Amino acid sequence: MNSPASASLTKTSVGIGQLVVSKDPAELLVAYGLGSCVGLAVFDPGPGVGGLVHVLLPESPNGKQGGTEPGRHADTAVDHLLERLAAIGAVRHRLIVKLAGGASVLGPANATRFKIGERNAEAITARLKAHGLRPHATALGGTVGRTLELHLGSGKTYVRTATSQASEL
Amino acid sequence: MSNRLDDITATLRVVASDGALRAGRGLSGLVGQDISIHVPSVRIGTNVDACDAVGGVDVLVLGAYLSMTGDITGHIMLIFPQGRALECVDLMCGQPLGTSVEVDELAASAVGELGNIVGSAFINALADRLGLILHPSPPAVVNDMAIALVESVYAAILAQGGDVVMIDTVFSDQRGETAGLLIVAPDPAALDRLRELAA
Repeated sequence: MNSPASASLTKTSVGIGQLVVSKDPAELLVAYGLGSCVGLAVFDPGPGVGGLVHVLLPESPNGKQGGTEPGRHADTAVDHLLERLAAIGAVRHRLIVKLAGGASVLGPANATRFKIGERNAEAITARLKAHGLRPHATALGGTVGRTLELHLGSGKTYVRTATSQASEL
Repeated sequence: MSNRLDDITATLRVVASDGALRAGRGLSGLVGQDISIHVPSVRIGTNVDACDAVGGVDVLVLGAYLSMTGDITGHIMLIFPQGRALECVDLMCGQPLGTSVEVDELAASAVGELGNIVGSAFINALADRLGLILHPSPPAVVNDMAIALVESVYAAILAQGGDVVMIDTVFSDQRGETAGLLIVAPDPAALDRLRELAA
């Protein structure tokens, strides 16, 4: 089931490696099916601006370039999201930060070998810390995929799984 | 990057076709009726395309994941929209379609076995073609949103600095084609070996 009142909102899907910021109170940003990926939602309740990035991997292969998809890797995604938010009026000390995803959905053998979900969450958290930020709420780890929504009108975030209803994060 | 993959696409297609043939035989033997498997495309994996093949990013899928270990490594995942997977369970158990309505222990076990047969067939085809020793892991039953599963395979490959190759596989029986999708994603070292063979 979708989150409350989502039917009347403009829904923008944030795919793998994508980074979207918005100041439209009628917009809802959504990262579908975060498996080992991590969704980072950041909102400034002052001007009512927020953004969502769908991070695939912890580190950029060629240093911190970011390339055409800075949202793809944690080491560039956090910086770019904060820069983009600052450009539309966000102020760092007001930011509300939420994280979801980083699960191991392919079974224990894969999880043990790659630990991508865990590493994604660690890399994002470390980069946030470098900016003096920490997550206010998280839904990380475990073995199920999650969908993360950020409602720009309220700043609320919701998480749902394939079998559970949306609940506020 | 695409040129790098173009070099080996023909070889990979041969491996995939052989794997499909073996898997079809194994599956037909198990369920007692002819099920053919064919491989319409070997392509660079785009995660959204893969999800669309099973009904969209948010659709609930059921399937099995196996990792390939041995001389080279990789990933095999067979996924169906959940309803279709449950029909496969009915087929495998010799019961009327529609009998299975939830993912219970029996359904999970049957889908795991289905993934085991199909995934192992592809791994054996790859091993024979390359003259390597390869082992499939026990199947892990997966039951989640399609995108969550596909992106996790995608991430495992890209984390090693490789390209993603996905082999779409269509299952056909007397009633027509299913919407099942087999994702075969060799790790980068496996692609290097395939390229050597193709040269």
